[in-house]
Amino acid sequence: MDILSDLLLGAQTAFSFSNLAYCLLGVFLGTAIGVLPGLGPTATIAMLLPVTFGLAPETALIMLAGIFYGAQYGGSTTAILVNLPGESSSVVTALDGYQMARKGQAGKALATAAIGSFVAGSIATVLITFFAPMLSHIALAFGPHEYFSLMVLGLMASVVLASGSLLHAVGMIILGLILGLIGTDTNSGEMRFTFGMFELADGISFVIVAMGVFGLGEILSNLEDETERSTVKARITGLMPRREDFRRMMAPVLRGTGIGAVLGILPGGGAMLASFAAYALEKKVSHHPEQFGNGAIEGVAGPESANNAGAQTSFIPMLTLGIPSNPVMALMIGALIMQGIQPGPSVIQEQPVLFWGLIVSMWVGNLMLLVLNLPLIGLWVKMISIPYRYLYPCIVAFCMIGVFSLNNASFDIWLMGLFGIAGYLLRKLDCEPAPLLLGFVLGPMLEEHLRRAMLVSKGDATAFLTRPISAVLLLVALLMVVSILAPAVRAKRAEAFVEDE
Amino acid sequence: MKTLRMMALGGALLATALAGPATAQDFPAKPVTVIVPFAPGGASDTIARLATQAMQPTFAQPLVVENKPGANGAVGAAQVVRAKADGYTIMQASIGTYGINPALQPNLPYDPRADLEMLTIAVRTPNVLVTRPTLEADSVDALIAALKAEPETMLFASSGTGSSDHLTSELFWQVTGTSGIHVPYKGGGPAQIDIMGGHADVSFQNLGAVAGFVRDGKMKMLAIAAAERSPEFPDIPTFRELGIEGMEVYSWQGFSAPKGIDPAAKETLASAITAALKTPAVAEQLKGMGFEVLANSPAEADAFVAQEIDRWAEVVKAGNITPEQ
Repeated sequence: MDILSDLLLGAQTAFSFSNLAYCLLGVFLGTAIGVLPGLGPTATIAMLLPVTFGLAPETALIMLAGIFYGAQYGGSTTAILVNLPGESSSVVTALDGYQMARKGQAGKALATAAIGSFVAGSIATVLITFFAPMLSHIALAFGPHEYFSLMVLGLMASVVLASGSLLHAVGMIILGLILGLIGTDTNSGEMRFTFGMFELADGISFVIVAMGVFGLGEILSNLEDETERSTVKARITGLMPRREDFRRMMAPVLRGTGIGAVLGILPGGGAMLASFAAYALEKKVSHHPEQFGNGAIEGVAGPESANNAGAQTSFIPMLTLGIPSNPVMALMIGALIMQGIQPGPSVIQEQPVLFWGLIVSMWVGNLMLLVLNLPLIGLWVKMISIPYRYLYPCIVAFCMIGVFSLNNASFDIWLMGLFGIAGYLLRKLDCEPAPLLLGFVLGPMLEEHLRRAMLVSKGDATAFLTRPISAVLLLVALLMVVSILAPAVRAKRAEAFVEDE
Repeated sequence: MKTLRMMALGGALLATALAGPATAQDFPAKPVTVIVPFAPGGASDTIARLATQAMQPTFAQPLVVENKPGANGAVGAAQVVRAKADGYTIMQASIGTYGINPALQPNLPYDPRADLEMLTIAVRTPNVLVTRPTLEADSVDALIAALKAEPETMLFASSGTGSSDHLTSELFWQVTGTSGIHVPYKGGGPAQIDIMGGHADVSFQNLGAVAGFVRDGKMKMLAIAAAERSPEFPDIPTFRELGIEGMEVYSWQGFSAPKGIDPAAKETLASAITAALKTPAVAEQLKGMGFEVLANSPAEADAFVAQEIDRWAEVVKAGNITPEQ
């Protein structure tokens, strides 16, 4: 019963008064800054990092972790209320969450996100407690081939995201892939499509594209027609989910948790896929796939749970291997180093107070997030009934601050403006931005892993099929294509038969 | 009591009078911005923050760390070069920004030798030769023999094309007459994972970054590219001991200011930074990250940077690894 005594040690740490207070402070600050469009967990933690220097290491980490979940949750709030996803994981939350908000169900959508996140966070924490050291082996089993196949699977899943025309969706994905090519080529070190601008050498940040295409694009198209503004017009019906909503929510939450927990462990960008994969799965298993994209509660519950479960399990590679799985974890490692702790395989043995304290505080933090946010829902919902002429200038201003905070560069603000115009045109052309963003996120990783896999296997493409994990992932991707195409093929065939007769 | 106060007042007046009108002697008269041309949380950022934190109590003005990431430090460095050379904008950056970018990128918007003056080389850490745990070769000799037996087969992971560890691999191939396949990653972390997972064979990594993995048996360390053995790994030989010359490679970090900075301001900054780096608490923390504090003089630092640029330019040329191939 080693684990029990470890957990007790963790509980003693996490439940000390000052650690509880800092956890609450972190969760609160994270939520408060995270709801501002464009300011995601990375920017929030980078800003608040100096605050933690004077604290004990475990307190600092507990507070930073609190900021991380808080900001992540705050980001979903903005995605649902004003259709502004601050990071890749909340893009899919915006799809159905914003539609729910437009139907006057913003409160329900927010509550679903909060409850789903809490359940997912709790389950993922238990997973980490019992299996963290074992799970770190999964991270090592994934080489370039496996990652490439995983990305292919993600790309296939992204087609499912589209609720409109399949052709438009595919076009958007390809456009996203092309945009993702901008920047320095990993293999040759050559800059591609940067027009000699060093500002583009590291590629375009996801936040810039998302803020531009989603946020500014939406605002521009709303300016056009005063009568059809798509902010929340409908009367607000019910802040809290009803019993039947809970019934619809439970299975998606659990499925989302499973997907998120597994993908979160992979440091090579697996966590990014979690919410997309969960959405695709929910749409596939649903009896009413036509509701997706029009405010399906499952489309919020699944991805939000996946996202939060992934956020928890992404601590595993950081704590057990000392390897960051995303920029937030890189910051946490930086914070630990400043505290004189070298994260790595030996952290669990050498810093048991830190490790177990953090794990228990993860659960505490998730609970605090729930307690803090459920009462706030009423406030958020009122916020979006602020008149258009006040709300939208504020959103634009915050978008600019958020984008500027990425690299402290005004170049990025201009770039966001450009993407805003693009977003407006795409809307006019009836093209959805979500597949574009997924292509944009996946493209660079797809290329990187493909080229590395080909280097590693010395040009032998069959390695994708001879390596078991990779082969299984590709098979699932193939099945997914078949399942997407099958209805279309069947419809065509039916048509053909009609013509024959 | 009264006399004491009078004396203190007099002393203060005298000090003000001696300081004279507002000239460079007054430096610093406003906050100093330390540009870090990398994302927060990395080595360059951590060193800037540790150093400024230790400087702050005795430094008259706030020191503000500002991250300006992009293009391996080129975006931030270009901004520093454009800034006024008054000592209020300085930079903390890595070997890549100072020593390798100029060798690698012909269109670089700055030249460290012409546009920057070094304040100090803050720290350095040797690169070490590590392999996946399952590799048969147990020594550098065995590795070289294996590389010679099957040229162009072993996978050398690096943290990116043109990174310090990539160029170290190139240098290794050049001085030992061997060859391999260079597999670039995006950053050191993913490269280290693939070494541990056995997806790549060999890599040159910073000692501090892999020390924990080696101790844990997740990687094998064959040699250290330093002048002397590391006290932490007394059994690991240096390349020179193995009869391989020219394989002393350190990754380093240094502070600099735009060319033409006032000598008095430069002196103030350089002595404050080096004093901060040498405080036992900071040195101890840096040691924990695998860094050895150098904190040399501005003149030594300038000479060192020029020497590094020449050295890597040669490796880049011999290995034909310019991006414009």
